[in-house]
Amino acid sequence: MVADEPTFARLMQAAQNGDKAATNVLLSEAGLWLERYFRRRVPPHAIDDLVQDVIISFYTKRATWDPSRPFLPWLAAIARYRWVDHLRKVYKHESQELMDDDAAQDSEEDVVMARVSLDRLFGQLPERQAEVIEMVKISGLSIKEAADKTGQSESLVKVNIHRGLKTLATMVEKAE
Amino acid sequence: MDKYSSRDDLIAALTEDVTPVQIVRPGQGAAMIVFATVAALIACLFIFGFWQGMINGEASPYFWISNGLLALVGAASTSALVSSVLPRVGAHGSAPQWSLAMLAILPLAAIIAFLSYEAGHDHGIGMSDPGLMYGECALYGLTASLVVAGAAVAFVRRGAPVSLDRSGWLIGLASGSSGALTYNITCPIDSLMHVGIWHVLPVFVAAVFWRYAAPPLIRW
Repeated sequence: MVADEPTFARLMQAAQNGDKAATNVLLSEAGLWLERYFRRRVPPHAIDDLVQDVIISFYTKRATWDPSRPFLPWLAAIARYRWVDHLRKVYKHESQELMDDDAAQDSEEDVVMARVSLDRLFGQLPERQAEVIEMVKISGLSIKEAADKTGQSESLVKVNIHRGLKTLATMVEKAE
Repeated sequence: MDKYSSRDDLIAALTEDVTPVQIVRPGQGAAMIVFATVAALIACLFIFGFWQGMINGEASPYFWISNGLLALVGAASTSALVSSVLPRVGAHGSAPQWSLAMLAILPLAAIIAFLSYEAGHDHGIGMSDPGLMYGECALYGLTASLVVAGAAVAFVRRGAPVSLDRSGWLIGLASGSSGALTYNITCPIDSLMHVGIWHVLPVFVAAVFWRYAAPPLIRW
């Protein structure tokens, strides 16, 4: 069972005062809470890395929690910041590949990661952007094949993928 | 930091040297920004001298209105900036945007006044305002704003802003308005054209500049 708000707050105050045992328990409990937080947001194989990233950020920035404020919203804000950062890295990686036009050589892992992350948000994109992202970044078609299938020019396919990925990153960042 | 094979290893490594921390308080950031503003003001007074017109009734209403609005933008954006370094979820306040919108009335008024001279066939009256010639005031205001921006960036780096773009805008607004204010009160030119353009321009330039320059500096 994951600790509740008062327990977290108590442990965090002790951690801010330099209590080693409390910090240990706090980070372990925060890890469990973060696992649940990320379970519905990122692919299963990416959860542990992301949880570790947040734990490091959490520990490094522990001085920014104000004991007069609730703890969990503070932790959620840090988790969300790292999550957006993670998505940006994924999308940046995808966009760079587009510029190199070697989308068909994506690794299995990247394609799965893109699929899981993007599927949740696809419904909010214009159809022309969603369909080319689906074709090129998930099904593995080349830019030319996607252009032939959709009737868009090759440059338009690239632009639509680039804009679509950027919009997705922005949507995620703005969602509170 | 390297990735650990297990979370327990990571936690053990992190907690090996736990030390007490001093909590980051927004008030400390506000104090740093105010201190930097006062330092910039002293430097401006030292370099440009104190303008007596401010206390002997020579200053026009535009002088007071523009500097009052700059102080308002500075206070609103500083308050929002120092709060933004503590991670939280939820809606942000919109005071900086509204105060900036109020400040934007000044350049709009200057442009409308200029155009109305032209529409009234008083060609050249707008351009004949000598205040329009002294564009270096904007440069002085911007230079002063760097002192404030330095303090703002230093404080934000201690915190954990979760919206880097917004923090960038706020650093620009806070430093641009406070920096411009410190120079402007030493400037004896107080026509609408002059204060509406050159005294306000640093705020907009600094906001755009820091929106792009700040995120790499405050990323964590």
